[in-house]
Amino acid sequence: MARASSREGFGQKYGALLALAALIVFNMIFTRYFLNLQTLYVNFTQVATIVIVATGMTLVIATGGIDLSVGSLMAISGALAPMLFLNESLPPILGVALAFVLPVLTAGAFGLFNGFLITRYAIQPIIATLVLFIAGRGIAQVVTNGNLTTFSNMTFQFIGRGRPLGLPFQVLLMFALVALIAWVIRATIFGRYVLAIGGNEAAAKLSGVPVSRVKLAVYGISGLLSGLAGLIVIAINSSSDANQVGLNMELDAIAAVAVGGTALTGGKVNVFGTLIGALIIQLIRYTLLAKGVPDAVALIVKAVIIILAVYSQRVRQS
Amino acid sequence: MKRFIPIALAALAFSALAADAGLPKLAKKATYKIGFAQTETNNPWRLALTASMQGEAKKRGWKLVYTNGNGSAAKQVSDVDSLIAQKVDAIFLSPREEKPLAPAVLKAKKAGIPVFVIDRNVDQSIAKAGRDYVTFIGSDFILEGQRAADWLIKATKGTAKIIELEGSLGSSPANDRKTGFDERIKGTPGLEIVASQTGNFTRDEGRQVMEALLQAHPDVTAVYAHNDEMALGAITALEAAGKVPGKDVIIVSIDGEKDALQAIIDGKLGATVECNPRFGPKAMTAMVDYANGKKIAIKLTNDDRFFDISNAKASLASSY
Repeated sequence: MARASSREGFGQKYGALLALAALIVFNMIFTRYFLNLQTLYVNFTQVATIVIVATGMTLVIATGGIDLSVGSLMAISGALAPMLFLNESLPPILGVALAFVLPVLTAGAFGLFNGFLITRYAIQPIIATLVLFIAGRGIAQVVTNGNLTTFSNMTFQFIGRGRPLGLPFQVLLMFALVALIAWVIRATIFGRYVLAIGGNEAAAKLSGVPVSRVKLAVYGISGLLSGLAGLIVIAINSSSDANQVGLNMELDAIAAVAVGGTALTGGKVNVFGTLIGALIIQLIRYTLLAKGVPDAVALIVKAVIIILAVYSQRVRQS
Repeated sequence: MKRFIPIALAALAFSALAADAGLPKLAKKATYKIGFAQTETNNPWRLALTASMQGEAKKRGWKLVYTNGNGSAAKQVSDVDSLIAQKVDAIFLSPREEKPLAPAVLKAKKAGIPVFVIDRNVDQSIAKAGRDYVTFIGSDFILEGQRAADWLIKATKGTAKIIELEGSLGSSPANDRKTGFDERIKGTPGLEIVASQTGNFTRDEGRQVMEALLQAHPDVTAVYAHNDEMALGAITALEAAGKVPGKDVIIVSIDGEKDALQAIIDGKLGATVECNPRFGPKAMTAMVDYANGKKIAIKLTNDDRFFDISNAKASLASSY
C-alpha cells in the first residue's frame, strides 16, 4: 500500500509537469523555430485568459462544484465595456475607468447569483451554472443586438495590448493572479475552508465552517475573473462579439484544472497545476497548428487529453 | 406489415410527385410578408446585409420577419421551420453551410413557399436552383479568390511565401475562395502556400491562428485571408511579432468593410476584393419579377468592386 500511495503522489504532483516537458521537447526537436522568445510570447498571451478563468474554476472545483457559466460571463463583460468607454455622455477618463470596473463587477454579481442558487436552493452546481451558461450569452446578445462592436481606445486596450517593461500586461496579470490564489489556498483560513468543504461538506458544516458564505465567495470570484478575461479578449481584438467572446471557455478552463491535477470531486487543489494544465492545452493547439493539422482534429486531441486526465483521477481515487 | 406497404407506396408516390412539382407560385400582391434567415451577425459584412434587407423591405412597405442563426446551422434550420410556420410569402435564406441547409429549402418548397438563396449557396445535389428554389443571388466567390490572387501576383512580383487564412470549414465562400486563389497561383512557380488553416471568418481566431503560424513560418511574406476580419486579426498578430504589415508581409483579403479600407489607407492592408453585402434591392426586385411571372435566371451575380490604395480613401464613406 505504501508503495502504491507514493507512486500516486508522484503522478499527481509531477504528471502534468512531465507531460508539459514532453511536449516542449517534442516541439524543440520537430517544430521549426520553436526555440525563441516570440514563441513564448505568443503562447503566454494566448493562454492568459484561459489561466485567469481556470484559477477561479480551480477554487470552485476545490469545493466540489463546477462553473459552466464562465464563457457566457466573459461575453457579458465584453459586451458591457464598449458601451461605457464609447459612451459620449461620459468623460473619456471616467468612461474607461468604469469600463474596467462595472463589467467585472457585473460578472462577479452573476457569479454570486450562481452561488445563491447553489447554496440557497441546494441546486447541483452543474445545473445551477447551466442557467447562466445559456442565458448569459443571451443577455450579452440582447444588450448588443448580437452585433459586433469595433473600437480603438488604447487606454482601455492596455489590458490586452499593453507591454510594461516589454512584458505583455495580461501575462503579468495572469502570474499575479495565480500567485494570489495559490497563496489564498495555502495561507488563509478561507483557503482551509474551501478545501474542508470540498473534502467533506457535512463535516465542515458541523465543525463550524461557514459553508454558504464560502461557496458564494468562490462563485463570485469565478465570475469576477471571467469578467476580467472578457475585457482582455476584446481589448486584444479591438472588437467585441457577444457570439464569440468566451465561447467554449468553460471547457478549456475545466480541462486545464483537471489536467493540472486538481481533483474534480473537490478537497484537493493544485493552482500551479492549473497553470501547467492550461499550458499543456495551449501547447497542443499550437503544435497542431504549426504542424498544419486541421482545427477539427485539434478538438479531438483536446478531448482525448481530458479523458486521460479524468481517467487518471479515477485511478488515483480507487 | 401488409397494411404498411400501400401506405409506404402512397407516401413514396406522393414524395415523388412533390419533388416533380415545379417551384411554388407567388401571388401578385400590393404588400408581402417575407422571411429573412440570417446566418450570424458577428462581422460588419453581415450587419450590412441585414440592414440592406430591412431597409429595402421598409422602403417597399413590406413586413420582414428576421431570424438570426447565431453561427449555428442547426439553429438556422429551425429558424426556417419557424418562418414556414408563420406562413411568410417568400423566404430569403443566407445559408450557413451548403449541406445542412439544403433540406430546409426542400421543406419550404413542400410548404408552398418560394425560397431565394442569397450570398452562400446550398448543396446542388440535394436542392437545385430553378427546381427547388427560385434563384441564387450572390457574388462569384471563385472570381473573388482569383482577383485576390491576381493582385498578389503583381504586388509580390511573383515571389512569395503565403499563409492562407480560410473561412468556416464547409461554407461555400471558404471553399470557392480557396479554389479560385489556389488554382490561379499555380501558374506562378515563385508563389508557395506554406500554411493554410481556418480562422472561422472571425478576428479573434484569425489573430490566434496567425500568431501560431507566424512562429512556425517566420519567413512568410504574404497573407491571403478569406475575409477582412481575419486579415485585421492577422495585422494585429504581425504587429505583435514586430513585423510591419504592408512592408514585411503583404496582405490581401476579401469583403471591403470600412475597417479594412482604413487599414489600406494606413498602409497595413494591401487590397481587398469587394463582396457586396447590399442584397436588399436586387433580392426583392427578383422576387417581384418572379411574382409577375418573369423568368428568373438560376443565378444572379453581384457586381463587386476592388479596393486598393488608389481608391480606398474615396470609397471609405460609402463602405460599411
